[in-house]
Amino acid sequence: MSIDSYRFLAFATRQVMKAWAARQQRGVIPFTPLTKPLRECTVALVSTAAIARNDDRPFDQEGERRNPWWGDPSFRVIPLGTSESDVRLYHLHIDPRFGQADLDVVLPMRRLTELAQEGVVRQPAARHYSIMGYILEPEVLVGETALAIAERMRADGVDAAALVPA
Amino acid sequence: MIEASGIPTVSLSMIPDLTRAVGVPRLAGISYPMSRPLGNPHDADGQRAVLRATLEILPRAAAPDTYVELPFVWPESPAKVRSASKDIPPSPIVELVTKKPWLLANLYRGHIPQQEEVLDRAIP
Repeated sequence: MSIDSYRFLAFATRQVMKAWAARQQRGVIPFTPLTKPLRECTVALVSTAAIARNDDRPFDQEGERRNPWWGDPSFRVIPLGTSESDVRLYHLHIDPRFGQADLDVVLPMRRLTELAQEGVVRQPAARHYSIMGYILEPEVLVGETALAIAERMRADGVDAAALVPA
Repeated sequence: MIEASGIPTVSLSMIPDLTRAVGVPRLAGISYPMSRPLGNPHDADGQRAVLRATLEILPRAAAPDTYVELPFVWPESPAKVRSASKDIPPSPIVELVTKKPWLLANLYRGHIPQQEEVLDRAIP
């Protein structure tokens, strides 16, 4: 594998990430083919940067500080048009200042709108989403959070989604 | 789960070996630092190019575990990237295993302590 972004990380963080990768067990990977051209698709974005609107509930940083093996498995809806001044990034494993300075660094809703204007996609979805990317035990994330996000995407007529880590 | 619900997905990743270990339908690997998946703040052209390249994998993939390495090159050295974020405190788990490195073995073994357990002992 030629991509090595571990090089950007501090040594201890690198060790934790590698341990995390080593313990993963792959199950059956689902696959849904795209059934229409990309230019006809309504697209939604999911960021793992733990973004919450200022008028919404923050992600639980204190719970993770009390138990570093735990991460908040909930999600927040980020409506199209939300900007960096409307949100905070609650992820404790990243430098939140880049996404806080320009939300498109982690949740590129404006870039998606521009790609729609260029005809690459049909339109951005009305609602986008954020989760928090450090979840060692993903049962709730997979069993509840992802299902709840998928339900909302279907209700919004979303044809495809892009998942953006942080 | 989103994919299993009938909505095709593509995942961008700066750490593609971790994402592939989890297993995703379509993956775009990128040599960018964590915290800046789309590029630098206010680099709209660069961000749009990354998003476009990621989305264009959607119609190309014919089977799960499709992996594409995106050609984008980060403009700064790793040392400069680490230095830019050096005043950000380490995450709670990194702080813990820095103090108690033997706990890293627990993570390798997949033993995630529950709240009621003693959190700082190595699992034999």
